[in-house]
Amino acid sequence: MRAIIYIILLIANTLIVSAQLKIGDNIPNIVLKNQNNVGMNINQNNEKFILIDFWASWCGPCRLGNKKLVKLHNDFGANKINIIGISLDTDKLKWIKAIEKDKIKFTQVIDPKGFDAKTAVLFGVEELPSKFLFNKKGILIAINPTEEEIMKYLN
Amino acid sequence: MKKIYNTYILLVSIVLLVSTTANAQISKVEIRATGLTCSMCSNAINKQFKKLAEVDSVATDLNTNTFVVYLKKDNKLSPNVFKESVEKAGFFVGSFEVTMPLEQLKSNSNYILIEANEAKSNNDVVVRIFDKGYVTEKEYKKLLKSYSKTATYALNNEADYHIKIIN
Repeated sequence: MRAIIYIILLIANTLIVSAQLKIGDNIPNIVLKNQNNVGMNINQNNEKFILIDFWASWCGPCRLGNKKLVKLHNDFGANKINIIGISLDTDKLKWIKAIEKDKIKFTQVIDPKGFDAKTAVLFGVEELPSKFLFNKKGILIAINPTEEEIMKYLN
Repeated sequence: MKKIYNTYILLVSIVLLVSTTANAQISKVEIRATGLTCSMCSNAINKQFKKLAEVDSVATDLNTNTFVVYLKKDNKLSPNVFKESVEKAGFFVGSFEVTMPLEQLKSNSNYILIEANEAKSNNDVVVRIFDKGYVTEKEYKKLLKSYSKTATYALNNEADYHIKIIN
Protein backbone atom coordinates (compact mmCIF):
# COMPACT_ATOMS: atom_id res chain seq x y z
CA MET A 1 0.00 0.00 0.00
CA ARG A 2 2.79 2.35 0.96
CA ALA A 3 4.61 1.58 -2.28
CA ILE A 4 1.53 2.49 -4.30
CA ILE A 5 1.22 5.81 -2.52
CA TYR A 6 4.88 6.53 -3.21
CA ILE A 7 4.44 5.72 -6.88
CA ILE A 8 1.38 7.96 -7.13
CA LEU A 9 3.26 10.78 -5.42
CA LEU A 10 6.21 10.28 -7.75
CA ILE A 11 4.01 10.47 -10.84
CA ALA A 12 2.18 13.51 -9.48
CA ASN A 13 5.53 15.13 -8.83
CA THR A 14 6.85 14.58 -12.35
CA LEU A 15 3.59 15.94 -13.74
CA ILE A 16 4.03 19.14 -11.76
CA VAL A 17 7.65 19.47 -12.88
CA SER A 18 6.86 18.81 -16.54
CA ALA A 19 4.15 21.49 -16.45
CA GLN A 20 6.92 24.06 -16.85
CA LEU A 21 8.45 24.83 -20.20
CA LYS A 22 12.09 23.71 -20.64
CA ILE A 23 14.81 24.52 -23.15
CA GLY A 24 14.17 22.39 -26.24
CA ASP A 25 10.37 22.41 -25.83
CA ASN A 26 8.11 23.60 -28.62
CA ILE A 27 6.20 26.83 -28.30
CA PRO A 28 2.67 25.95 -27.12
CA ASN A 29 -0.43 26.88 -29.07
CA ILE A 30 -2.19 29.37 -26.84
CA VAL A 31 -4.76 31.84 -28.04
CA LEU A 32 -5.10 35.02 -26.00
CA LYS A 33 -6.88 38.27 -26.72
CA ASN A 34 -5.07 41.43 -27.76
CA GLN A 35 -6.06 44.99 -26.83
CA ASN A 36 -8.69 45.00 -29.62
CA ASN A 37 -10.24 41.82 -28.21
CA VAL A 38 -8.94 39.76 -31.14
CA GLY A 39 -7.68 36.25 -30.36
CA MET A 40 -3.99 35.75 -31.23
CA ASN A 41 -2.04 32.50 -31.22
CA ILE A 42 1.33 33.02 -29.53
CA ASN A 43 2.70 30.33 -31.87
CA GLN A 44 2.96 32.58 -34.90
CA ASN A 45 4.73 29.91 -36.95
CA ASN A 46 6.26 32.24 -39.53
CA GLU A 47 9.95 31.33 -39.56
CA LYS A 48 10.94 34.13 -37.21
CA PHE A 49 12.35 34.21 -33.73
CA ILE A 50 9.67 34.69 -31.10
CA LEU A 51 10.32 36.50 -27.84
CA ILE A 52 7.59 36.10 -25.23
CA ASP A 53 7.69 38.69 -22.45
CA PHE A 54 5.51 38.25 -19.35
CA TRP A 55 4.80 41.55 -17.65
CA ALA A 56 2.18 43.67 -15.84
CA SER A 57 1.44 47.39 -15.76
CA TRP A 58 2.06 47.57 -12.00
CA CYS A 59 5.51 45.93 -12.27
CA GLY A 60 8.19 48.64 -12.25
CA PRO A 61 11.04 46.53 -13.64
CA CYS A 62 8.74 45.37 -16.47
CA ARG A 63 7.98 48.93 -17.50
CA LEU A 64 11.70 49.70 -17.70
CA GLY A 65 12.10 46.48 -19.71
CA ASN A 66 9.37 47.63 -22.12
CA LYS A 67 11.57 50.56 -23.20
CA LYS A 68 14.31 48.12 -24.20
CA LEU A 69 11.84 45.86 -26.01
CA VAL A 70 10.43 48.83 -27.95
CA LYS A 71 13.99 49.68 -29.01
CA LEU A 72 14.67 46.08 -29.99
CA HIS A 73 11.49 46.02 -32.02
CA ASN A 74 12.38 49.31 -33.74
CA ASP A 75 15.96 48.23 -34.46
CA PHE A 76 15.21 44.82 -35.88
CA GLY A 77 11.75 45.47 -37.17
CA ALA A 78 9.27 42.68 -37.43
CA ASN A 79 11.40 40.97 -40.08
CA LYS A 80 13.56 38.96 -37.75
CA ILE A 81 11.70 38.67 -34.48
CA ASN A 82 8.15 38.64 -33.23
CA ILE A 83 7.95 40.13 -29.78
CA ILE A 84 4.82 39.13 -27.92
CA GLY A 85 4.01 40.73 -24.59
CA ILE A 86 1.77 38.68 -22.32
CA SER A 87 0.30 40.82 -19.57
CA LEU A 88 -0.84 39.26 -16.28
CA ASP A 89 -2.77 42.41 -15.35
CA THR A 90 -6.16 41.81 -13.82
CA ASP A 91 -7.27 45.32 -14.80
CA LYS A 92 -7.47 45.54 -18.60
CA LEU A 93 -7.75 49.33 -18.65
CA LYS A 94 -4.47 49.75 -16.80
CA TRP A 95 -2.86 47.36 -19.27
CA ILE A 96 -4.11 49.33 -22.29
CA LYS A 97 -2.97 52.61 -20.74
CA ALA A 98 0.49 51.13 -20.11
CA ILE A 99 0.76 49.97 -23.74
CA GLU A 100 -0.01 53.50 -24.90
CA LYS A 101 2.30 55.15 -22.41
CA ASP A 102 5.21 52.83 -23.21
CA LYS A 103 4.50 53.26 -26.97
CA ILE A 104 4.45 49.51 -27.59
CA LYS A 105 3.89 48.59 -31.25
CA PHE A 106 4.59 44.85 -31.04
CA THR A 107 1.92 42.24 -30.32
CA GLN A 108 0.27 42.48 -26.91
CA VAL A 109 -2.08 39.92 -25.39
CA ILE A 110 -3.48 39.45 -21.89
CA ASP A 111 -4.11 36.52 -19.56
CA PRO A 112 -5.74 38.52 -16.80
CA LYS A 113 -5.31 36.32 -13.75
CA GLY A 114 -1.95 37.34 -12.27
CA PHE A 115 0.40 34.48 -11.43
CA ASP A 116 -2.56 32.08 -11.48
CA ALA A 117 -3.06 32.67 -15.22
CA LYS A 118 -2.92 29.40 -17.18
CA THR A 119 -0.22 30.69 -19.50
CA ALA A 120 1.94 31.80 -16.57
CA VAL A 121 1.57 28.38 -14.94
CA LEU A 122 2.35 26.57 -18.21
CA PHE A 123 5.51 28.60 -18.77
CA GLY A 124 6.46 28.34 -15.08
CA VAL A 125 6.51 32.10 -14.54
CA GLU A 126 7.40 32.85 -10.91
CA GLU A 127 8.46 36.47 -11.28
CA LEU A 128 7.94 39.44 -13.55
CA PRO A 129 9.36 40.23 -16.00
CA SER A 130 10.08 36.78 -17.50
CA LYS A 131 11.28 36.23 -21.04
CA PHE A 132 11.27 33.18 -23.30
CA LEU A 133 13.13 33.14 -26.64
CA PHE A 134 12.10 30.63 -29.30
CA ASN A 135 14.09 30.04 -32.52
CA LYS A 136 12.71 30.05 -36.07
CA LYS A 137 11.45 26.50 -35.62
CA GLY A 138 9.56 27.46 -32.48
CA ILE A 139 11.90 25.70 -30.07
CA LEU A 140 12.68 27.31 -26.72
CA ILE A 141 16.37 28.30 -26.76
CA ALA A 142 16.70 30.74 -23.85
CA ILE A 143 14.90 31.73 -20.64
CA ASN A 144 15.40 35.32 -19.48
CA PRO A 145 18.09 36.15 -22.04
CA THR A 146 19.78 39.55 -21.81
CA GLU A 147 19.45 42.00 -24.69
CA GLU A 148 23.00 41.18 -25.79
CA GLU A 149 22.14 37.49 -25.91
CA ILE A 150 19.02 38.15 -27.96
CA MET A 151 21.00 40.31 -30.42
CA LYS A 152 23.62 37.57 -30.80
CA TYR A 153 20.93 35.16 -31.90
CA LEU A 154 19.47 37.67 -34.35
CA ASN A 155 22.70 38.82 -35.98
CA MET B 1 -22.02 5.07 36.63
CA LYS B 2 -24.44 7.02 34.47
CA LYS B 3 -23.88 10.09 36.56
CA ILE B 4 -20.15 9.89 36.11
CA TYR B 5 -20.65 9.51 32.38
CA ASN B 6 -22.90 12.58 32.26
CA THR B 7 -20.41 14.65 34.18
CA TYR B 8 -17.75 13.47 31.75
CA ILE B 9 -19.80 14.62 28.76
CA LEU B 10 -20.46 17.95 30.41
CA LEU B 11 -16.76 18.41 31.12
CA VAL B 12 -15.78 17.50 27.57
CA SER B 13 -18.29 19.91 26.12
CA ILE B 14 -17.07 22.70 28.37
CA VAL B 15 -13.47 22.02 27.35
CA LEU B 16 -14.45 21.96 23.68
CA LEU B 17 -16.42 25.15 24.00
CA VAL B 18 -13.61 26.97 25.75
CA SER B 19 -10.99 25.75 23.33
CA THR B 20 -12.98 26.74 20.25
CA THR B 21 -13.55 30.25 21.52
CA ALA B 22 -9.84 30.48 22.31
CA ASN B 23 -9.06 29.40 18.76
CA ALA B 24 -11.40 31.88 17.13
CA GLN B 25 -8.49 34.07 16.29
CA ILE B 26 -7.15 36.06 13.41
CA SER B 27 -9.46 36.26 10.41
CA LYS B 28 -7.36 38.39 8.09
CA VAL B 29 -3.78 39.61 7.78
CA GLU B 30 -2.56 42.51 5.64
CA ILE B 31 1.13 42.60 4.93
CA ARG B 32 3.28 45.00 2.97
CA ALA B 33 6.53 43.30 2.05
CA THR B 34 9.81 45.06 1.36
CA GLY B 35 13.09 43.94 -0.12
CA LEU B 36 15.68 44.68 -2.75
CA THR B 37 13.37 43.72 -5.60
CA CYS B 38 9.70 44.38 -6.36
CA SER B 39 7.84 42.15 -3.90
CA MET B 40 4.65 42.05 -5.95
CA CYS B 41 6.60 40.99 -9.05
CA SER B 42 7.46 37.67 -7.42
CA ASN B 43 5.13 34.77 -6.81
CA ALA B 44 7.27 33.58 -3.89
CA ILE B 45 5.43 35.27 -1.02
CA ASN B 46 2.05 34.25 -2.43
CA LYS B 47 3.23 30.64 -2.64
CA GLN B 48 4.48 30.60 0.95
CA PHE B 49 1.10 31.85 2.21
CA LYS B 50 -0.82 29.33 0.14
CA LYS B 51 1.27 26.50 1.61
CA LEU B 52 -0.42 27.11 4.99
CA ALA B 53 -3.46 24.87 5.38
CA GLU B 54 -5.21 27.54 7.48
CA VAL B 55 -5.08 30.07 4.65
CA ASP B 56 -8.35 30.44 2.78
CA SER B 57 -7.25 32.83 0.04
CA VAL B 58 -4.61 35.40 -0.79
CA ALA B 59 -5.33 38.66 -2.59
CA THR B 60 -3.00 41.42 -3.65
CA ASP B 61 -3.74 45.11 -3.50
CA LEU B 62 -1.56 46.55 -6.26
CA ASN B 63 -2.23 50.15 -5.27
CA THR B 64 -0.80 49.73 -1.79
CA ASN B 65 1.57 46.82 -2.60
CA THR B 66 -0.15 44.79 0.08
CA PHE B 67 -0.85 41.08 0.41
CA VAL B 68 -4.24 40.39 1.98
CA VAL B 69 -4.47 36.92 3.51
CA TYR B 70 -7.89 35.55 4.50
CA LEU B 71 -7.84 32.75 7.07
CA LYS B 72 -10.14 29.84 7.74
CA LYS B 73 -12.30 29.88 10.86
CA ASP B 74 -10.91 28.68 14.19
CA ASN B 75 -7.31 28.64 13.04
CA LYS B 76 -4.56 28.76 15.63
CA LEU B 77 -2.06 30.79 13.62
CA SER B 78 -0.20 33.59 15.27
CA PRO B 79 1.32 36.56 13.39
CA ASN B 80 4.89 35.23 13.49
CA VAL B 81 3.92 32.43 11.06
CA PHE B 82 3.24 35.03 8.35
CA LYS B 83 6.38 36.99 9.14
CA GLU B 84 8.38 33.79 8.69
CA SER B 85 6.62 33.07 5.38
CA VAL B 86 7.61 36.48 4.04
CA GLU B 87 11.21 35.98 5.18
CA LYS B 88 11.35 32.46 3.70
CA ALA B 89 10.37 34.00 0.36
CA GLY B 90 13.37 36.30 0.64
CA PHE B 91 11.59 39.50 1.67
CA PHE B 92 10.94 41.51 4.83
CA VAL B 93 7.78 42.80 6.45
CA GLY B 94 7.27 46.54 6.08
CA SER B 95 3.89 46.71 7.78
CA PHE B 96 1.65 44.13 9.38
CA GLU B 97 -2.06 44.45 10.22
CA VAL B 98 -4.25 41.83 11.81
CA THR B 99 -8.03 41.56 11.99
CA MET B 100 -9.42 39.68 15.00
CA PRO B 101 -12.40 39.75 17.35
CA LEU B 102 -12.13 42.42 20.04
CA GLU B 103 -12.83 39.82 22.74
CA GLN B 104 -9.88 37.80 21.56
CA LEU B 105 -7.65 40.82 21.74
CA LYS B 106 -8.77 41.60 25.28
CA SER B 107 -8.41 38.06 26.58
CA ASN B 108 -5.01 37.33 25.06
CA SER B 109 -2.22 38.78 27.19
CA ASN B 110 0.30 38.38 24.37
CA TYR B 111 -1.20 41.41 22.67
CA ILE B 112 0.10 44.50 24.41
CA LEU B 113 -1.46 47.86 23.61
CA ILE B 114 1.41 50.24 23.11
CA GLU B 115 -0.79 53.30 23.14
CA ALA B 116 -4.07 53.53 24.97
CA ASN B 117 -6.67 53.79 22.24
CA GLU B 118 -10.14 52.33 22.12
CA ALA B 119 -11.67 50.16 19.46
CA LYS B 120 -14.55 51.71 17.52
CA SER B 121 -16.24 48.40 16.98
CA ASN B 122 -17.28 45.70 19.39
CA ASN B 123 -16.76 42.93 16.88
CA ASP B 124 -13.69 42.76 14.69
CA VAL B 125 -10.80 45.10 15.23
CA VAL B 126 -7.81 45.83 13.04
CA VAL B 127 -4.51 46.20 14.86
CA ARG B 128 -1.04 47.01 13.58
CA ILE B 129 1.99 45.24 15.05
CA PHE B 130 5.04 47.35 15.83
CA ASP B 131 7.58 44.76 16.96
CA LYS B 132 10.99 44.17 15.40
CA GLY B 133 10.52 42.39 12.09
CA TYR B 134 6.95 43.71 11.68
CA VAL B 135 8.00 47.23 10.73
CA THR B 136 10.98 48.40 8.67
CA GLU B 137 14.36 48.39 10.42
CA LYS B 138 14.43 52.18 10.24
CA GLU B 139 10.99 52.52 11.83
CA TYR B 140 11.92 50.04 14.56
CA LYS B 141 14.94 52.10 15.60
CA LYS B 142 12.73 55.18 15.98
CA LEU B 143 10.08 53.22 17.87
CA LEU B 144 12.66 51.86 20.33
CA LYS B 145 13.19 55.43 21.50
CA SER B 146 9.52 56.41 21.51
CA TYR B 147 8.47 53.32 23.44
CA SER B 148 11.35 53.22 25.91
CA LYS B 149 8.77 53.47 28.71
CA THR B 150 7.10 50.24 27.67
CA ALA B 151 9.39 47.76 29.37
CA THR B 152 8.40 44.75 27.28
CA TYR B 153 8.97 46.46 23.92
CA ALA B 154 12.76 46.22 23.87
CA LEU B 155 12.70 42.61 25.07
CA ASN B 156 11.71 41.32 21.62
CA ASN B 157 9.84 38.39 23.10
CA GLU B 158 8.60 36.41 20.12
CA ALA B 159 5.22 35.60 21.68
CA ASP B 160 4.44 39.24 22.54
CA TYR B 161 2.90 41.60 20.05
CA HIS B 162 2.97 45.33 20.67
CA ILE B 163 0.01 46.80 18.90
CA LYS B 164 -2.09 49.84 18.16
CA ILE B 165 -5.75 49.60 17.28
CA ILE B 166 -6.25 51.05 13.84
CA ASN B 167 -9.89 50.34 13.23
